[in-house]
Amino acid sequence: MDTREPAVRAEGLVKHYGGRTGVVEAVRGVDLRVAAGEIFGFLGPNGAGKSTTIRMLTTLLSITSGSAQVAGVDVTHEPDAARRRMGVALQEAGLDPRQTGRELLVLQGRLFGLGRGEAAARAEELLALVELEDAADRRIKGYSGGMKRRLDLASALVHEPEVLFLDEPTTGLDPASRLTVWDEVRRINARGTTVFLTTQYLEEADALCERLAIIDDGRIVRQGTPAELKTELRERRGLASDPTLDDVFLDATGRTRDHVAGDVQEVTA
Amino acid sequence: MSQAWVLGQRALREAWRTPEALVPTLFIPLFFLVVNVGQAGKIFPAASTEFLKGQGYGAFQLPASLLLAASFGTAALFLVEDIEGGYFDKLRATPIPRTSIVAGRLIAELAKGLLIATLIVLLGLVFGISIASGVLGFLLLILLTALWSCVFVGFMQLIALKTRSAAATNSGGLVFFPLLFLTPNFVPRDMLTRPMEIAASINPVTYVMEALRSLILDDLDWERIGRGFLVVAVLGAIMVALNVRMIRHYD
Repeated sequence: MDTREPAVRAEGLVKHYGGRTGVVEAVRGVDLRVAAGEIFGFLGPNGAGKSTTIRMLTTLLSITSGSAQVAGVDVTHEPDAARRRMGVALQEAGLDPRQTGRELLVLQGRLFGLGRGEAAARAEELLALVELEDAADRRIKGYSGGMKRRLDLASALVHEPEVLFLDEPTTGLDPASRLTVWDEVRRINARGTTVFLTTQYLEEADALCERLAIIDDGRIVRQGTPAELKTELRERRGLASDPTLDDVFLDATGRTRDHVAGDVQEVTA
Repeated sequence: MSQAWVLGQRALREAWRTPEALVPTLFIPLFFLVVNVGQAGKIFPAASTEFLKGQGYGAFQLPASLLLAASFGTAALFLVEDIEGGYFDKLRATPIPRTSIVAGRLIAELAKGLLIATLIVLLGLVFGISIASGVLGFLLLILLTALWSCVFVGFMQLIALKTRSAAATNSGGLVFFPLLFLTPNFVPRDMLTRPMEIAASINPVTYVMEALRSLILDDLDWERIGRGFLVVAVLGAIMVALNVRMIRHYD
């Protein structure tokens, strides 16, 4: 049994929103343990509670009840200490379009306490890591979607975090850009950073993640390695061959392929 | 403080790279100055109007234009862009004091306010307005205008943080127009009708306007100047406190 402190631990995590039609229970008691050094995938259909969970773990959303720790630090009681240990790249690729890539990274470094020279050197290093040296001094508004994602990834790494949170890092990217981001994620993980990523793409989870959890309707419905989850489904259903992760996902969320294709949900994070 | 400063530099770059947002800040107040003086200038001739202290009506109207220039609050619209684009969350995910996020924008607003007020007053000087309180008065005039712009941006940022909408933030800024006109805008307070005088006396903008006006028309009148700075200090402290509170509780 692994006795090391988990990189991410959530216990009974709950988030309620007050809405016009009453209280909305976005997350209903999520328990998670992510081991240090792994790539952990967090999957779920639209509106299942993925983004709400990641926003609570990254201190961006208050926790209604339960607790969460990142790199051993409680995110509610010591948010600044937790922020120093985590990097965050959210769905929107939160970048300032009027700045250049270099300016953005230097500013991010300064906000994490680096001196001017140190921040400039770190920016240079990160621009090389995500292969954006040629575009470093161009305004971000001129970047392609893939370049923005890579820059966002770089900005989340400026302070060398122990845990990197990526919320749907490849949504909206073309296949080539998606593969580039996958490579970056693997490279970052190889340097010792724990990666917690949400995704809607099951092949992405299969390709990248050592373990994953599936959330549906605010609750974790499956958790394990991709192989474990496939084996469990094959044995339970008595299937002749190994199911795909798509099959595991559909089984876990109680959806059929027809249902998913026609499903439209409004998400409020 | 160093984090507030780097965020201030970023906000200044943002303003510098969006000159189209600065042009109306300069043009519209000057437009109103010209129009107001053109409409009422003959009613209040310099030679026979005691409250003008020997200057033209433009000198009396200049504070209203300065206040208008300081009440555009474009920084709050940039904040809405940050919120909508996700950069605001990026800032919230850094271990910086929440006051730095507010102070960064206010530092940039102060610098912009100083620049715009200086340009408007210098243009006023070119057209014959003089600053009766001298060089120190000139500097206080610019400083008080710029500080008011910080107060107003603080107010606009509250709307931005609450609504997260550019349209709502823009509309919220229109609240200032009634406040600007519920002041001794065209004549001194003692010449207003009684209901208007009461309304103007309750309105804090009146004291800022009177302080600015005294710096243009009178020698250093510390009582009036002090009241203007006091209003700005109190409202400024309230706005900063509310902004920080709102960012801390932002979900």
